Amino acid sequence: MSSSGPTPGNPQVKALNCPGCGAALTLRSFSQAVTVVCESCHSILDAQDPRLKILQKFQVATREDPPLIPLGNRGTIRGTQYEVIGFQRRTILVDGVPYSWHEYLLFNPFKGFRYLTEYNGHWNDVSVLRALPLSSPGASTLNYLGQTYRLFQTAKAETSYVLGEFPWQVRVGETAEVSDYISPPRVISSEKTDKEITWSMGEYLAGRDVWKAFKLAGDPPRAVGVYENQPSPLIGHVKAVWKLCAAFLVALVVLIIGFYATARNQQVFSQSYSFNTNGKTEASFVTDVFELKGHTSDVELRTQANLDNNWIYLNYALINEDTGHAYDFGREVSYYSGYDSDGPWTEGSQKDSVTIPSVPPGNYYLRVEPESEYYRGTIYYSITLERDVPQFGFFGIAALALLIPAGVITWKFMNFEHLRWAESDYGNSDGSDDNHGAGNAAAIAGGIGAVAGLIGNALDIDE
Amino acid sequence: MMRNVFFIYGLAILSALALAEYRGWSLNRVDELKNVPKSVRDNPGSYRSVYGYYHHYTGGK
Repeated sequence: MSSSGPTPGNPQVKALNCPGCGAALTLRSFSQAVTVVCESCHSILDAQDPRLKILQKFQVATREDPPLIPLGNRGTIRGTQYEVIGFQRRTILVDGVPYSWHEYLLFNPFKGFRYLTEYNGHWNDVSVLRALPLSSPGASTLNYLGQTYRLFQTAKAETSYVLGEFPWQVRVGETAEVSDYISPPRVISSEKTDKEITWSMGEYLAGRDVWKAFKLAGDPPRAVGVYENQPSPLIGHVKAVWKLCAAFLVALVVLIIGFYATARNQQVFSQSYSFNTNGKTEASFVTDVFELKGHTSDVELRTQANLDNNWIYLNYALINEDTGHAYDFGREVSYYSGYDSDGPWTEGSQKDSVTIPSVPPGNYYLRVEPESEYYRGTIYYSITLERDVPQFGFFGIAALALLIPAGVITWKFMNFEHLRWAESDYGNSDGSDDNHGAGNAAAIAGGIGAVAGLIGNALDIDE
Repeated sequence: MMRNVFFIYGLAILSALALAEYRGWSLNRVDELKNVPKSVRDNPGSYRSVYGYYHHYTGGK
């Protein structure tokens, strides 16, 4: 919307009086008005008749359903100034429950007519289509200018309230079969009567934009729920976030390869020992001193023991000879095997490994204190230490940390689509992606497979 | 906006990962003790591990 473009110019209203109640009438669309509704007595008058013949009277309290944009107000839509000249309420019945929306008829003497519709705070800028959409008989989709629209609902709409002037023979109580096909933020509607089918296209507008265009005071009504062609606030974000996520995952793989390729995996100590479980002497001992080189990094300690239905527990302390700083930990290695009615079984392992984090360089030795069951013979075991070993667990955590936000955004997007299609007559459709490509939120409604298609599109770098 | 936030978030994750790998962080918990006397080398039995007297599993199926 902008402030340029043709304007209705100075008002050249035609002064008339209602033949029903004598109230003054205003004709804003001049000779294009076919009917005009008296705002006082709600008589529908023939605007083409010089004597304003009364066509219909309907009883309604004047203040029952006042327009949110008063008749005569002017606003700029798509660069053109329009004047509100008519207002009608239309109602459909769904399972016996009436649902009503409002239509504002806008007029510009150079551009003609267009409409604003409002339902529960959701607005649409509507104009009549110049070309027919393409559709197959019985199909739940139609195509217009290369864009596919999915059938959202079909209902019989009844005009339940009118005000102002209209370029057609408007009547309270007249009905039309209305079908909406959506491709957010657009909707194509067909209105079928006994005489004709009218096609129109609406584009979703935020209430604040309507208020701004018509310079209305206060705030627009709060939008309730998700409207049929309301664009998902996340549609662009889902694709962007998945693209970024994919890029980060690729970077993560590169990092994994890089760290594994450059990790030193330097063996700094390896020694075999035996532990006599029958012995009664002090079991603890210390190893020779070995040097840990390079920057602060991890140390992986591996223990392997020739156990058979036995265990060994090793109290370890990696001690810096110079500073007296010790890393104290214990590891159990146990291995059991046997045979029962289910067949052979094993439990545990003869191998164990543990990572000691962030060990600064220096001269170290190990203090080892083995324990085991008494009188189980001699246990042979070996200890190996490696410096600077990549930790795969961090890569998994990083991958999860990248995927979770993308997943949450996708879930919120799916929830939005679920709420949209919950209001549809065709909400149980499978949501299969028959609209390959970007942009059509309807095509991905309600299905993980469809979201997978969206993600697939997001990852398509040629898109 | 969301794209920028996720971009910064992703960079932070990868940076933290790189730092963790470079510095050798680990998910394992290891107790650290200071000022272990040098006499431990001569008398290993004098050292008292915080993991001593561990209750060992002696199971099997």
